Amino acid sequence: MSDLTIAQKAVGGEIAVRSAPYFPRRRKRITGRSIAILVFLTICALFFAIPLYVVVVTSFKSMAQIREGAMFALPGPWTIEAWDYAWNRACSGINCNGLKVGFWNSVAILIPSLILSISLSMVTGYALALWNVRWAGTFLFLLFICAFVPFQIIMFPLISMTSTLKVYGSVWGVAIVHAVLAMPVLVLIFRNYYKDIPQEIMSAAIMDSGSFWRIFVEIILPMSGNILIVILILQITSIWNDYLIGVTFGGFNGQPMTVNLANLITISTGTVAYNQNMAAALLTAIPPLVIYFLVGKLFVQGITAGAIKG
Amino acid sequence: MALRWSRIAPQLALTPALAVTAVAFVGSIGWTIYLSFTRSRRLPEYTIDWSEWGRQYQRLFNDAAWGISLRNLIVLGLGSALAIVFGFILAAMIEREKRGESFFRTVFLYPLAVSLIVTGAAWRWMFNPELGIENVLHQMGLTFVNFSWLASAETAMWGIILASVWQSSGFYMALMLAGLKSINSEIWSAAKLDGVPIWRLYVEIIIPMMKFTFITCAILLSLGVIKAYDVIVAMTLGGPGQSTYVPAYFTIQALSASGNLGYASAAAVMMLVITAIVFLPLVLLTAWQQRRRAEAVR
Amino acid sequence: MPRVSFEHITKTYGHLTVLNDLNLAIDDGDFLVLLGPSGCGKTTLLNLLAGLLDVTDGRITIGERDVTDLDPKDRGLAMVFQSYALYPTKTVRGNLRFGLVSSGLPREEIDKRVDWAAKLLQIEPLLDRKPAQLSGGQRQRVAIGRALVKNVGVFLFDEPLSNLDAKLRTEMRLEIKNLHTSLKHTIVYVTHDQIEAMTMATRIAVMNGGVIQQFGTPDEIYETPANLFVAGFIGSPAMNLKRGTLAVSGDRRAVIIGQTRLDVSDYRFEQPPQDGAEVIVGLRPEHFLPPGTTPADAAGQFTVPVRYAERTGPDASAFFEFDGALLALRVEPSLAARLKAGETVTVAFPRGRANLFDARTGQRM
Repeated sequence: MSDLTIAQKAVGGEIAVRSAPYFPRRRKRITGRSIAILVFLTICALFFAIPLYVVVVTSFKSMAQIREGAMFALPGPWTIEAWDYAWNRACSGINCNGLKVGFWNSVAILIPSLILSISLSMVTGYALALWNVRWAGTFLFLLFICAFVPFQIIMFPLISMTSTLKVYGSVWGVAIVHAVLAMPVLVLIFRNYYKDIPQEIMSAAIMDSGSFWRIFVEIILPMSGNILIVILILQITSIWNDYLIGVTFGGFNGQPMTVNLANLITISTGTVAYNQNMAAALLTAIPPLVIYFLVGKLFVQGITAGAIKG
Repeated sequence: MALRWSRIAPQLALTPALAVTAVAFVGSIGWTIYLSFTRSRRLPEYTIDWSEWGRQYQRLFNDAAWGISLRNLIVLGLGSALAIVFGFILAAMIEREKRGESFFRTVFLYPLAVSLIVTGAAWRWMFNPELGIENVLHQMGLTFVNFSWLASAETAMWGIILASVWQSSGFYMALMLAGLKSINSEIWSAAKLDGVPIWRLYVEIIIPMMKFTFITCAILLSLGVIKAYDVIVAMTLGGPGQSTYVPAYFTIQALSASGNLGYASAAAVMMLVITAIVFLPLVLLTAWQQRRRAEAVR
Repeated sequence: MPRVSFEHITKTYGHLTVLNDLNLAIDDGDFLVLLGPSGCGKTTLLNLLAGLLDVTDGRITIGERDVTDLDPKDRGLAMVFQSYALYPTKTVRGNLRFGLVSSGLPREEIDKRVDWAAKLLQIEPLLDRKPAQLSGGQRQRVAIGRALVKNVGVFLFDEPLSNLDAKLRTEMRLEIKNLHTSLKHTIVYVTHDQIEAMTMATRIAVMNGGVIQQFGTPDEIYETPANLFVAGFIGSPAMNLKRGTLAVSGDRRAVIIGQTRLDVSDYRFEQPPQDGAEVIVGLRPEHFLPPGTTPADAAGQFTVPVRYAERTGPDASAFFEFDGALLALRVEPSLAARLKAGETVTVAFPRGRANLFDARTGQRM
């Protein structure tokens, strides 16, 4: 009797497994096709991983070893000299204080522009999604178009305006331009997120308080945790990885790390120190890579949201 | 209707964003369009010589470098489209073979997290004629292989395409994977019961069902290609010669290197026009999708 | 002096007119139910009162104040929503406090009111939980509590029970009714459920197509429906509506329905009846005498074949074929079990119970 029950359960389980949406196939056996797919995917994974491997090993090599030409060979001996040079002494233009200058510039750009862009677009998205503003539709359409405008068409006017405001050529100029350029996309993302908050909650809040800011701070902000993290990751990576705005608005004193790196790898006077270049590239890539490997799923959500905008 | 604070507060909160949009986007675009009709050199000039208002455009269309830029734009667009194909194949494989999904996804996507300058630096190094991959292959006896693509004008664009595909395939894979996962699993079961070969299932059922995902990917790719700048800087600086110029690079060169504001503005306006051509289908697509959704609700 | 009044209210969306020149006055302490099918404008009317929507034209007063242009929070109202609309990130206590803190009440007063409402609704043990940790019934109580603490004179309910299961709904119905009896607030309650309306309301406004069809006590609505819509909407099974001709000879009045003659001499006509007038007669299924009982003083007798019977446990309905349509009767379940399809039965309708409507206008005669 008990055997029968177990059998029934097994059959039931089998049926359940088969009809469950994500397991239409039998799981246990490795078929020839599975192996073929896995081999193909592994080869692809190698294609994606090789550049990282090459960059890492090169950065730990001495120039003497690099000149031997065995690109894929492991460093022998391992040396962090290139890293030390890239961080402390590498030249960007006439400044030879290493990438650390650019690193701290990038941080100095990142923080104010995060605060500016997120607070501005969050409040705007909230007002557009949850409050009755007659021209909201028109404004959203305008933002939607602005989100796709190429940077070059507003580049000179922005240079002109930042000069007038005396922020051109400083980290502040770069930070402000980042906030301005990110605004349309971020507003659309926040607006789409807030649009899903049930209307009745907003009605209740309007009857309870009616205050735009109090409702924002007490009700809406605490409900924005998820989207805030996604946006934060999206913004951190895109600001950190930006080159064009940094090189255009940073002048000599506000250059972010990517500009230092670009100067290092493109301006080749004398022999090129590939190990230093690769160490510098890695130094620049580490912050976003750390975020990616820590919270990859949210990162994907962020870039997808940033790209599609609902 | 009486004036109510509850109506004013949200509108007040919107003013900064509205001001930014009006000044930094709408106003600035107008400003640049205006400048494109002037003879501005390093500094803006605001007089338009009406007998010759289109001279910057005329010059642009006669400029060989602009011609190269446009051709490269198309080459880069078609070449980078491989990333969509590649992304779809990867997504389909991952979706069929569930094992290792998160591992493969992580590996395929990480290039997206790094700056294009870093990507360019890495590939520039791998394309190095003396010490790069070519050298490794030659040492292995494959001396007929030419892998120093960046060194020659004919192949430099291919180097840039390879780096772009490497960088962005993971992104398209992620979009495709999301699209594949939204397909009802019963289709797989039904196809299996009907004995439909897998490739026919993909060609005749799955890909048509994912047409929106494909269109989205295509539009995103086009917009990305129009904006391509960093990767050119990091890999070739437009060279050898002007062989890897693209409109984004051309425009900024015209402004910062040649100091020709009017000319750069005309190039920027052309970039806007190209964007609009790509962008229009997107607007129509979204409108169509919304109408379809509205009908579905009804 | 009415507590709440709507004067000449018009609400349009573009070309669509939802409410047109609507007037309604609600007395202090009334439990008014706005009853009607979905899309009849009842929720729109409630939202206009709450201030969540703006009137296109007309005036709304609460007490002596014209609130037409006031913000929702300044109207002295509290509202309970269909989905409860609790703030998901706040605890129950936080939900109750939010409106009070916003209005700047002193701390002790807030605590006092929250404690009072929590005690009244027996949600004290839940005060530190988040809404997601509550059951449907508990959320409903919190939503009511959030309205109660505001200590206002007028409460609005927007279909508050429609997300609850049948048993809880019955419980909460009684609870809301008791709250009204003990606290004597004015309540405006929107529902499409006639049971809720009949059990809780002191006044019902039946709405259809943006128009108030009838405004009266539950008994008035039930006993003397003002028109065919109200007659058909209230009651389950629905009132039998049969077309007939009025026969007037002196004091004797009757309706001829096909072969059947129904005496309506004791019906109180609003206008002197015309002989030969086309009428629709409404007969409530529950007013029929039990099948087989045919007293001589009945208003009329129907000899009809049985079609089928439905039993719902404590209740039963029997359906007969009459005049080319169905005639519904409320019967004893034991009797319903004995009725056989096809069998012919004589049923009688008592005097003084029929409703008469003008066949042309649909209005009560």
